[in-house]
Amino acid sequence: MKLVPQPPVNPATRALERHDFWPGLAATVAGLAVIFCGARHLTNVDTTDGNTAWETQLIQAFSAGGVQYASEQAAPPPPKLDDVANAAEVLDRWAKQQANAQPPGWKIRVDVGVKTPCPT
Amino acid sequence: MECSNPNHRDWQPSALGRKLARLRPYVQTGFLAVWLAPLGRWLHGIPGCVFHCYSCPLSAFACPIGVMANYAALVPVVAEVPYLLIGCLLLVGAASGSLVCGWACPFGFLQDLLGKIFPRKISLPGWVGHTRCVVLVGLVIILPMVLGYRGIPFEKQVISICRLCPAGALEAGVPYSVQSVLAGQAWLMSGLKTGILIAFFAAALFIHRPWCRLFCPLGGLLALFNRFSLFHLRFNPQECTECNLCRSRCSMGVKVDQTVNATGCIRCLECTTCGAIEPCFARPQKTGATEK
Repeated sequence: MKLVPQPPVNPATRALERHDFWPGLAATVAGLAVIFCGARHLTNVDTTDGNTAWETQLIQAFSAGGVQYASEQAAPPPPKLDDVANAAEVLDRWAKQQANAQPPGWKIRVDVGVKTPCPT
Repeated sequence: MECSNPNHRDWQPSALGRKLARLRPYVQTGFLAVWLAPLGRWLHGIPGCVFHCYSCPLSAFACPIGVMANYAALVPVVAEVPYLLIGCLLLVGAASGSLVCGWACPFGFLQDLLGKIFPRKISLPGWVGHTRCVVLVGLVIILPMVLGYRGIPFEKQVISICRLCPAGALEAGVPYSVQSVLAGQAWLMSGLKTGILIAFFAAALFIHRPWCRLFCPLGGLLALFNRFSLFHLRFNPQECTECNLCRSRCSMGVKVDQTVNATGCIRCLECTTCGAIEPCFARPQKTGATEK
């Protein structure tokens, strides 16, 4: 083993570094309490089936690519124009529907069924 | 380099230190059974306390750093308090500090194994450990939040901790890319991430635990608890022979001769082999009791 050079030490003057019990215990108990709160915590995020997502569902969505953003919702595709005679009318109706479409009432929601292997 | 202090020549490792040094690889191996999904993916709703990518096909828990970055990116849209994440880190940190880094983290264990290939190592100064806090604040919290304010979801952010993480590259990128290649398709992992993984492997051969020492945001966070955690290291002046071996045993570059509960420590407990440093749990002191 290679020895690392060090300045002379004086064990007698060195701090023992003994930790107090109560700060550590208080933080540990606080951690347990916060975990308990988290396990019972309903978030402000809805799921795609209309319920409110639990915190565990939100975290699971992070790892499975299940978080949906309203800003990313694609508009429905234009209708297929099989009937050429009515094509202009169909397209016009579709454009009006798009113009009158209400923005979604949510900003973000969780799809608990998605299982993307690697979201990033 | 030969040490000028002759005390080390009579040195015998302490019985406890010997036992802990022998035990550690077995404990690290045993913890793999916890992190590598024996119970299935349903535990992905709970953040773990070690560095292990949640996209790994075998991961049991969610990666706390990935969860933290995702929460940060959500702040502009919906401000949620990550109770489970805070609770897990607070519980583990307050109880044991960075003990999980040295004894339970699978990514640390991998680096320990890689480090055994070439015994000679490049030594890094202790201050480099502060870059972990920069990674934590900059890359895990601020950057996802700023890009989130720009309307970019975390999964679409071009630069993020998950896109740069070597653990993610190894545990998720490689399996899925190999699967893709075997199916006759392209290598899925980006060139940047592949390069990071190669650089990580190369660094782990010549630097002891390079990720833990330089970049690990989780280790940087847990190490902040080392100052007051229930489990800690204690210095026993009666046992100290000034042999200089505690510092020499430390592969993380911690100045153990000055302080043992430092933020650079991963609590591998190698320094306890000198006998003057003892692992212990804090206990309530009786009124009027004095320190020995």
